[in-house]
Amino acid sequence: MNATLLNPFTITHPTTIQTSLVSVASFARFDPSGKLLAAGRPDGSGVIWDLDTRATIRWCEGHVKGVTAIDWSRNSRYVLTASKDWNIIIWDLASPCDPPQRHTTIRFDAPVVAASFHPRNRYRSVVSRIVLALLSTGEAYIVDLRSSHRGRFELGGEDDGDEKRTIMTTVRFDPTGRHVFVGTSAGTIEVYNTRTKSLIARHRIVGAGVIKGIVFANGGRRLATNSSDRTIRQFTLPTYPTPPEQNTTYESNKCQIVETELEPTHRFNDPISKVAWHAISYSPDGEWLAGGAADPAAHKIYIWDISNDGQFASALDGGREPLLDVHWHPHAPRLASTTKDGNILIWHCPSPERWGAFAGGFEEADENAWYEEGEREFDLEDEAELALRKKLQEDEDVDIVGGIEDSTSTVPLNDVTPGDVDLEWADEEGELDRKDWRMKIITVEGEEVY
Amino acid sequence: MADTHTLSRSGIPQASSAEGLTPSSQTKPNYRAKYVLSGHTMAVSSLRFNPTGSLLASAAADKQIKIWDVYTGEIVKTFSGHREGVNDIAWSSDGEFLASASDDKTIILWNIELNAVAKTLHGHTNLVFCVNFNPRSNLLVSGGYDETVRVWDVARGRSMKVLPAHSDPVTAVGFSHDGTLIVSCAMDGLIRIWDADSGQCLKTLVDDDNPICSHVTFSPNSRYILAATQDSTIRLWNYQNSRCVKTYKGHTNRTYCLFACFSTTTGHHIVSGSEDCKVYIWDLQSRELLQVLEGHRDMVLAVATHPEHAVIASASTEKDPTIRLWVDDASKS
Repeated sequence: MNATLLNPFTITHPTTIQTSLVSVASFARFDPSGKLLAAGRPDGSGVIWDLDTRATIRWCEGHVKGVTAIDWSRNSRYVLTASKDWNIIIWDLASPCDPPQRHTTIRFDAPVVAASFHPRNRYRSVVSRIVLALLSTGEAYIVDLRSSHRGRFELGGEDDGDEKRTIMTTVRFDPTGRHVFVGTSAGTIEVYNTRTKSLIARHRIVGAGVIKGIVFANGGRRLATNSSDRTIRQFTLPTYPTPPEQNTTYESNKCQIVETELEPTHRFNDPISKVAWHAISYSPDGEWLAGGAADPAAHKIYIWDISNDGQFASALDGGREPLLDVHWHPHAPRLASTTKDGNILIWHCPSPERWGAFAGGFEEADENAWYEEGEREFDLEDEAELALRKKLQEDEDVDIVGGIEDSTSTVPLNDVTPGDVDLEWADEEGELDRKDWRMKIITVEGEEVY
Repeated sequence: MADTHTLSRSGIPQASSAEGLTPSSQTKPNYRAKYVLSGHTMAVSSLRFNPTGSLLASAAADKQIKIWDVYTGEIVKTFSGHREGVNDIAWSSDGEFLASASDDKTIILWNIELNAVAKTLHGHTNLVFCVNFNPRSNLLVSGGYDETVRVWDVARGRSMKVLPAHSDPVTAVGFSHDGTLIVSCAMDGLIRIWDADSGQCLKTLVDDDNPICSHVTFSPNSRYILAATQDSTIRLWNYQNSRCVKTYKGHTNRTYCLFACFSTTTGHHIVSGSEDCKVYIWDLQSRELLQVLEGHRDMVLAVATHPEHAVIASASTEKDPTIRLWVDDASKS
């Protein structure tokens, strides 16, 4: 609601630190509404911050070793935490207690280094029951919690034993959830179909080394990678074919693998100090890319202007505590960056105070302007005529209830074209994660202890 | 959540859909007194239905807050704890908390279920006059005679922001439906709109004659602001272009801060009390006076409209500190 009254000419990337949250965290993730922030701590807790009050509201305590990944469900009701203690826990924030109730616990046989919800379910007002997990052994699994598809499927697990298996170093669903993108230690990106779990494409990225991170923009048409050669690359992705139903032969699944080299459209690096990057994050509109520099003595976030051919826009300086992680807000020019000391810095783009707003009917002008008097502006008018005109003006109908826009739904709900097997498959058996759930306010006595 | 059995027993009708009714085809409301709730011993200052509409909370100058069952008219509980009269109350959106603003310069947050004080908010340097929750109910906004608007962290009971908002006592504050804007009005005659996150003033609305502003509230979709002023006028403002789009007149409001409410359950109406002991109901679009409710024997300061049914609660001052529940049975269709 406030957007229409704010100054529309502000720059759309964050510029200064708004606040610092003392959280002893190693990374932080905004929820889809942008009002909450989940911080993963090395001691195994996940902490939910309320950004309105800048205070912690829930402590998800269930892991005995460091939290490595956090993901939110579409309506922020469920939070997934992955940990080095081999577990993934899904928490239900609608439970009226602190710590919140566990919805599901998924146990693996190795530390979990990354995990996320299936984004498709996330966009469909249902909680995802499909979870993607990467273990420290370099294996990735899709865990399907739905009763008709229940199972744990290893990606690339059916590869022949003769060639040395590549270690998977990062996994991500693309924004539609049709595909899983896997970055490997051999500098390749493998694309799997989420439904069939079959490999459909393998892209070699020349000179990249180990792929450390993947982020998407533009509905999954654009991809950026962070790799061990200290370069961030941006690619435009091709369209991938939809594999046939799984009941066809194994051979036909196998022979459709697209093997191409992807040529980056842009490369981003620091030409002077050649820093590595700890984390990258796109702005929600994909027009900016933020890179968190792995500088051992400074907290620096580089921002590139993608809409302006990837020009370097600015370097945010967050002081002396080294940076661990950076994450862009889901719909505002805000960033959350985490320092090595565990503080989360919230960056924003302050709008200048408009003192003119304090006076009624006052407009601020940047420079002198000639006032052009209207033809009859200061004419004396008949009071009856004035009253009549006012009445006519007031006769116009007003709408006091309608038009409440849904600012959080980014993907239309009925976008499944019949026969789109990938999306239909993903939509089966959703569990309600309704928009109208409410987080109970739990009052806190005294000051909290960290 | 109210079950239909309770409804039929009490005779409170289901809300009929207002959509599809054009103002001209709309029949006049026909509210009749259903209950007279007596209990308060001094002027009743504020009335609020809880979000489900099953309970009515009332605050009065007798330092007490009472909760009434809307369907039976019986008193459910009484909260006492303020050292001075209570000026305003507000329900949290889950109905679990009630905030009350008092002349004793504090706001008390009551836990309804536990029947106890959850938090006492200290900070205002003069009497607190108005209070409201944001939609998520993690924030509370209050205004008072210290001329400030304050934003509070509900869970911790601490002050988040102090806005030097006005140059006279603040008479009403409220959040927009999405919680991003705060509106405030004061005896200086100004209506101000604030960015809830940054606390910046975004807009000031002022009428030519600068009358003292009694009450202000966002429309359900937050596109308009309804403002009652002490020139016996209620105005609907389009705050985007700072234009008054509707004017409602006929009642008397010269001295006290009267509430003005939207009623959207059966047709779209504006409801307000009056210093001539009556309750006035206007049509939102045509601005015609549709019904005047008579019965109170003193000035009606507080009114409230039910969230789901055609029910209006009104309460009056000193000489007749009763609350009346008015029900429109005819709108049952």
